[in-house]
Amino acid sequence: MPAVRIALLTIRLVTRTKVALFFTFLFPLFFLFAYAGLIARGKPEAVAYMFGPVVTLNIMGSGFFGLGIQSVMQRERGSLRRYRLAPIGPRTIVLSNLLANYLLQLPTLGLLVFCALAFFHMPMKIGWSTLLLLVTVGTFAFAGFGLTIASVANTMQEAQVYNNVVWFTLLFLSGVTFPLPMLPRWIQRLAMFFPSTYLVSAFQSIMAQAEPLLDHWLEMLALVTSGVFGLLFAVRLFRWEKEERISAKAKLWSGVFVLPFLVMGFWMNTRANPTAMWARSYHVMEQAPAAGPNAEAEKANLIENFDGVQPSEELLRRWQISTDSDVSGHSMAEISLLTPGAKGTPHALRLQGHLAPGPNNTQGHISARCEVQVPANSSGLHGVEFEARGEPRVYQVGFQPPNVAQSGSSSAVASVSADAAPPFPAISFVPGEAWQNVRLPVAWLANPASHGLVDGPWVLEVSVTGPPGEFALDLDEIRFY
Amino acid sequence: MGQLEENSVLVSVQNLHKHYGDLAAVRGLSFDILQGEVFGLLGPNGAGKTTTIEIIEGLRQPDSGSIRVCGLDPRQESMALKERIGAQLQSTVLPDKVRVDEALHLFAGFYHRSASVNLLLERFGLLEKRRTFFENLSGGQKQRLALALALVNDPELVLLDEPTVGLDPQLRRDIYALIEHFREEGRTVLLTTHYIEEAERLCDRVAIMDRGQLVALGTPRELIMRSGQGTRLEIHLAKPVGLDRLRLIEGVIDCHEADGAYLLRAQPAVVTIAALVRFLESEDNALLDLHIARPSLEDVFVEMTGRRMEN
Repeated sequence: MPAVRIALLTIRLVTRTKVALFFTFLFPLFFLFAYAGLIARGKPEAVAYMFGPVVTLNIMGSGFFGLGIQSVMQRERGSLRRYRLAPIGPRTIVLSNLLANYLLQLPTLGLLVFCALAFFHMPMKIGWSTLLLLVTVGTFAFAGFGLTIASVANTMQEAQVYNNVVWFTLLFLSGVTFPLPMLPRWIQRLAMFFPSTYLVSAFQSIMAQAEPLLDHWLEMLALVTSGVFGLLFAVRLFRWEKEERISAKAKLWSGVFVLPFLVMGFWMNTRANPTAMWARSYHVMEQAPAAGPNAEAEKANLIENFDGVQPSEELLRRWQISTDSDVSGHSMAEISLLTPGAKGTPHALRLQGHLAPGPNNTQGHISARCEVQVPANSSGLHGVEFEARGEPRVYQVGFQPPNVAQSGSSSAVASVSADAAPPFPAISFVPGEAWQNVRLPVAWLANPASHGLVDGPWVLEVSVTGPPGEFALDLDEIRFY
Repeated sequence: MGQLEENSVLVSVQNLHKHYGDLAAVRGLSFDILQGEVFGLLGPNGAGKTTTIEIIEGLRQPDSGSIRVCGLDPRQESMALKERIGAQLQSTVLPDKVRVDEALHLFAGFYHRSASVNLLLERFGLLEKRRTFFENLSGGQKQRLALALALVNDPELVLLDEPTVGLDPQLRRDIYALIEHFREEGRTVLLTTHYIEEAERLCDRVAIMDRGQLVALGTPRELIMRSGQGTRLEIHLAKPVGLDRLRLIEGVIDCHEADGAYLLRAQPAVVTIAALVRFLESEDNALLDLHIARPSLEDVFVEMTGRRMEN
């Protein structure tokens, strides 16, 4: 295949040129260290958030400058003329450039991932195949951009002007440099028309929140479509000689290239609301715990954040619901996963249902319990905290030591707290519409043994007792503090 | 090598026209190139030589006229034609960091039939430079690589656009030897040049072009013989003699004096020299020195166009 031969030679030529080597392999690393160090401040979760912009920046750079400018330079320099004498056509040249550009992306991507993992302990929430697919789609789309610009530009100067206008627009207004949630609303609306926005946001959603790539199929489709348009234009408008000029009419036709993003932008602005998704990813970065020993301690203190939970089976196994049916009540409840969770995290727990009056007009009662392991070294812990929101009812939360939990009843939280020995803590709270932090002090948590508490899983119980009616309570980020 | 019979027409150009905007680069050009001959397009810069050869190569589209190369139409059957021709551009540009053998292997891989890269390296004196980057080659080596690339598909027709332009005389002679070798192999060669020496030495037939038109076509000898310029005789005499008397000698077309010598244009020269000897004997004069210079294609060009080639 002539295209493969030319592509492989192009790659060899890059490896022999110091400047090309620097910009292909080392320059992207500079951005990784700058973004991860300065913006993400080395926090692993935040680095995962910034990884998308770094890769997108690299993909854009290779599309605009590696491929676009390279194509114009080949024409200006006259090196295409020698190929023209051989039995190969424009398609071969365009495909070879495309292939070389893509293959050169892969080692760079590998280097970026390696450095992000090795130096910043970036959590790898994305599979290699998904990452590769995302990079492939992005590279193809921006290769289309570069090729289209190379096709319509008559001179190198002209190509530089087009490139700079598009490059800087995308660089600053699509989340590549500044996270979109930081920017004014009108810029966010404008960003919905830019392809890099969708590549960056797809990366961030997947890398920071572990969302499946399929959730972004529409954005991927737009990227692929524009890549196809770019490729078609590049072949159709291909010129071997610098003396050949392209007509103004052909330049206008090449505007079709941006059509998928006009449609996407319009649709996103009117029908969808990607800003919420951008905000969630951004929130993950903002709230990301620091790296190092503190991060490990934070992780050890985490009881449940519902982000790694599969909705149906695992959740039901870990959380048990008790109703008042054992006292002939008719209250009903269910638990489910909610998206997004508190602080922009992917998921939260929702406990919702209906409280019905029991016999003799007793109040309905529902509780949800899960077992909790206290960290081996709990000397610095003071209690349990979590984020909550929901219907404004009175809820109770209690934390039962093992010896109590083993014999305790599901409805014991409110009534038993005063009688049990040793006493275990319980508080009442009323959630609001917004997430709020609730803290349950556990005085003897720092030294359970001194209180005669045995080892074993403790039980965290959240319950609601009250007048008939619907209720809904969302819980997230449950941890020791 | 070729599918055509010897002396059959390999390239046929009929009434070719090509304009670049208002500029008529080629105007009604017609000629045939026979299989196995070295055919030259001779003319000054801007005569339309490169445009013509690029139309034959299929790189440019003519405005009108018909053209057949190796039995194919370059406009319609460009890919098939490129398999059968080898071409060297006036200026071959390759990537700076490509090595000599890499370039040959790369281009050899584009064709269904290809020559041995090692043989090409050896034949074009590039064996020692096989691992050298293109940017580190001298002008002559680059030109030899360009010629090797033209032969990488073992073509039956070789098209060379100004193959020796910018080279010093020694390198030029090296290239001449390579082109003569093409002829010995039986390849058909079309070359463009503005060097008279090159056309006279290498070409079986020459088409002289000026301002996009064909002004003369034939073998170099035919063109010179056909020329009315006559042979130039430079004579030194023992005693001075009047120019008007010299002009009366048989065959003398023109005569003038310069730096003590008499410069005569004569046709036919042999008759004039015999008559000159008889005249000097009758005048008791003696011929001290005689230089004879045949007319060149330059003279033919001047006669046809009224301008010198370099103008």
